[in-house]
Amino acid sequence: MSTAMNFSNKSFTPRPPDKGAFPLDHFGECSAFKERFMECLRQSGYESAACRQSAMAYLECRMDRQLMANEPLEKLGFKDLINEKSEEKPKKS
Amino acid sequence: MVGLSYAAVPLYRLYCQATGLGGTAGTGGDPERIERMEPVRDRLIRVTFNADTHASIQWNFKPQQSEIYVVPGETALAFYKAKNPTDKPIIGISTYNVVPFEAGQYFNKIQCFCFEEQRLNPQEEVDMPVFFYIDPEFAEDPKMAKVDLITLSYTFFEAKEGQKLPLPGYQ
Repeated sequence: MSTAMNFSNKSFTPRPPDKGAFPLDHFGECSAFKERFMECLRQSGYESAACRQSAMAYLECRMDRQLMANEPLEKLGFKDLINEKSEEKPKKS
Repeated sequence: MVGLSYAAVPLYRLYCQATGLGGTAGTGGDPERIERMEPVRDRLIRVTFNADTHASIQWNFKPQQSEIYVVPGETALAFYKAKNPTDKPIIGISTYNVVPFEAGQYFNKIQCFCFEEQRLNPQEEVDMPVFFYIDPEFAEDPKMAKVDLITLSYTFFEAKEGQKLPLPGYQ
């Protein structure tokens, strides 16, 4: 889906994000989840794969507070974590 | 590169006006692709993060991590942070760039904070997430075989009413 307005063939054309912009979390409602995620990154040497649980928790926080459109977590790339989670009852706070 | 970044913002606005897509409509195929894609574990990629502000905007804007290691086919989350240290609300709008630019076609942002106006009140500080993935086809492109570093740069501009951004080659 490219516009017809590329004025250069060989340049980088920024594309809009698939789901648009995140609303700003003006009240820091999900800051704690972000902190947990960042702490995980620091401890894992900034390895994204090690912190997917925390990433998912952050996005769930946003969805719970209307800071992100609701989307099934499988469609956000977390289907393997969902299968694990279905064993326990997740507590959304 | 600055000229290109300048142009991207009004281009996106024109695109939105023409198609009616406010950036909130997801393309039909993508969620399916994300659900089906498998991580390519043997291609670890270091993604580094830059943050720039144009001279016109007084926000403090920076990444919350300087780098993150990802693999193609797996969604990843990263954060920037912005603060308005002034006593007036400021509206900013950002665009981004990816280098090497040939890798940009594989860099998919599912959701971020770019291309739409963001308002920060005086002294306000917010987290700005980027949720993205590198397409698994990256790992199959021979031109990408030696690429193990991708840099994502965001630049914030101040959005003013009636402001004319200097577009190279236009008007």
